[in-house]
Amino acid sequence: MAVLAETRGVAKHFGALSAVDSVDLAVSSGEVVGLLGSNGAGKTTLIRLLLGLLRPSGGETLLFGALPSMSTRRRVGYVPQTLGLYDDMTVQENWTFTAAAFGSARPALPESVRGSKDELVGSLPLGLQRRVAFAVAFSHNPELLVLDEPTSGVGPLSRARLWQDIRDSAEHGTGVLVSTHNMEEAEQCDRLVVMVDGRVAAEGAVADVIGSRTVVQVTCDDWRRAFAVLDADGLVVQVQGELLRVPGSPRQVEDLLAGHDLPAAVATVPANLEEAFVSVVSRGPRP
Amino acid sequence: MWAMIVKEFRQLKRDRRTLAMLVVLPVLLLVIFGYAAKFEVSNIPTIVVGPQAEQVASQLQGPFQVVEVDPGAGKSFVESRLRDGKAVVGLVTGQRPLLALMDGTQLFAAQAAEGAFAHMARAAEASGVTPPAVTVQILFDPKLMSSWIMIPGLTGLILLFIGTLITSLGIVRERQSGTIEQLAVMPFRPWDVIFGKIVPYLLLASLDLTVIVGVGMLLFGVPFVGSVATFGLGALLFLLVTLGMGVLISTVSQNQGQAIQLAIMFVVPQVLMSGLIFPISSMAEAVRWIAYVLPLSWYIEISRGVMLKDTPVAALWEPLVVLAGMAVVVLGLAMLRFRRDLAPSARHGRVTAAQPEPVSP
Repeated sequence: MAVLAETRGVAKHFGALSAVDSVDLAVSSGEVVGLLGSNGAGKTTLIRLLLGLLRPSGGETLLFGALPSMSTRRRVGYVPQTLGLYDDMTVQENWTFTAAAFGSARPALPESVRGSKDELVGSLPLGLQRRVAFAVAFSHNPELLVLDEPTSGVGPLSRARLWQDIRDSAEHGTGVLVSTHNMEEAEQCDRLVVMVDGRVAAEGAVADVIGSRTVVQVTCDDWRRAFAVLDADGLVVQVQGELLRVPGSPRQVEDLLAGHDLPAAVATVPANLEEAFVSVVSRGPRP
Repeated sequence: MWAMIVKEFRQLKRDRRTLAMLVVLPVLLLVIFGYAAKFEVSNIPTIVVGPQAEQVASQLQGPFQVVEVDPGAGKSFVESRLRDGKAVVGLVTGQRPLLALMDGTQLFAAQAAEGAFAHMARAAEASGVTPPAVTVQILFDPKLMSSWIMIPGLTGLILLFIGTLITSLGIVRERQSGTIEQLAVMPFRPWDVIFGKIVPYLLLASLDLTVIVGVGMLLFGVPFVGSVATFGLGALLFLLVTLGMGVLISTVSQNQGQAIQLAIMFVVPQVLMSGLIFPISSMAEAVRWIAYVLPLSWYIEISRGVMLKDTPVAALWEPLVVLAGMAVVVLGLAMLRFRRDLAPSARHGRVTAAQPEPVSP
């Protein structure tokens, strides 16, 4: 697979703040790379560096093997968090403008947004706006799609549709870099780069990021009170139905609950991505 | 309510630009405009021609300021100098009565000259001397109609408004909505974006200009006696300056409110100090230089000259060159700043050493 976009030790400092620090990243054709991180982790800054919208403070970014430029960006489709659509123009007008900008031969509007072609983008629900933004970004058949939190604020159905589109694009050979802090979305990526405080804290396939991490699964009749006890002890507790999942050792958890007259069954189970993410974030960036 | 008041002051304290507009600007404007906003004309550039030119010139007192004496020249020379804006009053000697030609487009100066002649006659009579008979002939705006003077200047004001305020708002709106980031990723060169943004406003302003001049001619009978091409050239250069200012303002404004504030700061001094209302020659010398750094001052010289006096392009070289220079500087700066916003990495390439920047994320 050809490497489409690459950063080598790229850094961006805003005064004393390191928004991005020594990040190596590569996106190849046909793969979906997820940038996973909390708000402020440096995902958007890294994307803007990659596209040449920000000047790096150190390191370098390459698009299609060259510095970001007009000719390399021509091969990129980009959906910023703000969507980059003109609210006061119709779907068709936005589509036509982008096609003209990229010199595309006036492609037809995709079926998914054709029904709204004469409506002003600003009057559409957010889910449909994001779908339009995605369609517009894909209108010139880019080799690389860069999507900055593309499903932020949209409902589950729209999100599922957008991810279907992303996966379809990748299957046709497009490289996709997508930032998210949604674990369900991250699980759909081929590879994840977890960012913490501007640095890469973990990377690899979902299984690689989770690694051998485990959590303690708690079964307790009075699970609500057990939750309160564990939470009060500073543990990050996840609720799955009536089951509780917490990091730590089974013995420690069992003793803690027993101390509050809460008999419980505990078991060690493999962590999910969200639990692994919390663990990675708690540990901080790699040295 | 107290909490609201405290909150407002806290926000104002951090909004330094608004604070400056509220506190510093009024004082500054009062001082400047206090010296600039005067209708009284104390100096009237005057030329004297004809056989007794030297003698008459030596007898002239304030407010007449003799700038040229040519005993060998006649009436047509005076008309030419007045048309070219070299003087406001021209006295033709060697005939009785003496002929005083005045440039009617210099409304207040012409009125002051008329008053000064009447005063001189009264003073001569009072001292028992027969005053010299003077025939006054007002050129270009014979009835001293203020609308004739104002409308050529108002065309500039409207171009200023469209060029500066509307353009800056249009670009800031792109920044606020995030579409400017999308433009930066599209295969546009920075000047594609800049000219793509300003050309529509240039066309709209040109259309507006045509309509305003047409309405001025139809409703107010304002003449258009000069060259349309010279007028168009002056308007184009002036528009390029104002559009460039609009782009510059947009590059230092984060939102439309800031853009409006800056545009007002740019437009208001031009209304009061460009000669649109108050004659530049009446301004105190300490602030008069400000008029000459304002593009509207130069545009008004061109528009009044062409529309009312048929001033030839050769006589307008100075305002045309100044406006062209301003256009190059302002548009050049605007391009550089806008280019930095659109494609920061294009100029710098790769960076190997850490370079902290004092900018917030």
